[in-house]
Amino acid sequence: MPDRVLPTPRRSIRKSLLLTLPILLWSLLMFSRTLIEPGRPAKLAAAATLVFMVALFFQMMRTLETNRWRRYFFVALGFLFPVGFIWQLFALRGSMSIPVERMLSGDTPFCFLAIPMMILPAAIAGTVIFPGSILPTASNPHAIAAMVALWFAATLVLGKGWCSYGCFFGGIEEGFAAIPKKPRIRRLDPRWRWMPWAVLAAIVLLSAATLEPVYCMWLCPFKAVTEYPAVRSFETAVQMGIFITLFLGLVVVLPLLTKKRTQCSFLCPFGAFQSIFNKTGAFDIRLDQSKCTPCVLCEKACPTMSITPEAVRSGKPLMSCMKCGACVDACVRDAAVWHIKGTEVGASSERARLMCLYSAWAFAVMFGGSIIAGTLEKLFGLVV
Amino acid sequence: MPLTGLMTEALLLGVSSGPVCLASCTPVLIPVLAAEQKSPRGTGALLAQFLGGRLAGYLGFACLAWLLGLSLQLQPRAHALTYGLADLGLAIFLAGYALAMRARPAASCGQPCPAARARLFTQRYRSFAPVTLGFVSGLTLCPPFVAAGVRAAESGGLAHSLLFFLWFFFGTSIWFAPSVGLGLLRRFAAVGVVARLTLFLLAAYYGYLALIVLGKVVLHA
Repeated sequence: MPDRVLPTPRRSIRKSLLLTLPILLWSLLMFSRTLIEPGRPAKLAAAATLVFMVALFFQMMRTLETNRWRRYFFVALGFLFPVGFIWQLFALRGSMSIPVERMLSGDTPFCFLAIPMMILPAAIAGTVIFPGSILPTASNPHAIAAMVALWFAATLVLGKGWCSYGCFFGGIEEGFAAIPKKPRIRRLDPRWRWMPWAVLAAIVLLSAATLEPVYCMWLCPFKAVTEYPAVRSFETAVQMGIFITLFLGLVVVLPLLTKKRTQCSFLCPFGAFQSIFNKTGAFDIRLDQSKCTPCVLCEKACPTMSITPEAVRSGKPLMSCMKCGACVDACVRDAAVWHIKGTEVGASSERARLMCLYSAWAFAVMFGGSIIAGTLEKLFGLVV
Repeated sequence: MPLTGLMTEALLLGVSSGPVCLASCTPVLIPVLAAEQKSPRGTGALLAQFLGGRLAGYLGFACLAWLLGLSLQLQPRAHALTYGLADLGLAIFLAGYALAMRARPAASCGQPCPAARARLFTQRYRSFAPVTLGFVSGLTLCPPFVAAGVRAAESGGLAHSLLFFLWFFFGTSIWFAPSVGLGLLRRFAAVGVVARLTLFLLAAYYGYLALIVLGKVVLHA
């Protein structure tokens, strides 16, 4: 383990508070409606979420570390989302399974993972191949249009940062990956990194051919902890078997063994699709070769194996980088830096981090924060 | 119906339903073209082979449509069996093709040895793949194809039926031309790796579909 060549920097409390102020105001704006609503559980949940999100941002400002504090939010989101979702499903229909007739009536809450599959059928056949409603309805507030608009806005700014600040599934495996102190499996064949692209190609082509969301029907591991088709036939039993196997393998067991986000790295087609938007996003991570020594701390820290020796030589991580900041936090020589496209590399890394974090955290408060608050309200309702 | 009217109808049916035909064939066609990593001209040659195979499938089906009239439509078991066998064939061939793509050519020793024989087999397998996959795709009963089949069966005679399918094929083929552009991606080595992995995934998908369909046929026999 190389010695830390730079002293651990810390920002003053006053300056950190000042930098946190915009996020505090934004959070107050986001939760203001809930804070004044009648009902103690809702108020308590909103207040707790607000404090949680603002405190994490303050710590990011104070310690100059990103990933450590982001991870608390992300894991909380990852574990609380299924709890709230399953709760809602049981309240609505007493089961996590959705019968075909409910699917046909467009009662399925929309999931952003279906977005890449919808593009070709929409262009070719003018069809939205998801059994949900385009606009919100009383029975299904999770409409397609709202989620697509939200995703698009976040993606334009953050690129694949969506996978670190918005995805409500990634936190589950990140939580499991955080448990062991050291990885038991250190070497993974780098060729598997191409698998999400292959899954993306296969599901996009098959969805266009069959006019069905193929990934949702056959490959989504998160069906195991959200909503799945009611097991009424051999076919649906096989589907369920695939969902559970993929969930246990890629979201639980492999992250525990590798300390990596293996589902994101080796399966998730949405992540591959999202990588394309890293080209359009305003922020990225750069690797300064002049400061870099081959300590590979960044390579070890990267949860998606986006830093390779070739990537270091080229001066930037692979396009699968999720802007979690783990490499920047791990680098002891400030060789890994935050960067705003079009500016000089390394000249204003902290400013770039701040700009990226303001965008990312504002989105996290609005999207993930509302999910966390929603679940906390249900949990507080049990005791208050 | 006069011959020109029949040809025009077939061509227009092909052009209008081409996007659906394209969507039906792309799961097989696109990964194959991308995996070979040829120049646009080479990709065009592969596309021509695929379309040739597809034409053979179409004309073979035209003969069947004429021979069986509408009976193929009316027998669910025959329908399911055709689907299941086509999917099974497709799955096996796709998996074999992906493996053949992965195999590195052994150095030639000039002697008839197992390595040389394996290399020859792999080369032949790869060279026949676009035609074979096009043929199997031509047998897959996508909705416009079934519509054309029904119309061809009503067209009067075998010659009319074949002619109808030939012009229907020309109409649909226009939509496949842009896929030649995949040749421009050949400088990206990763495209080849992704395409080969995609072929394995598709083989698994079609294999599973075949098992489900054939399993139902056997269970309900």
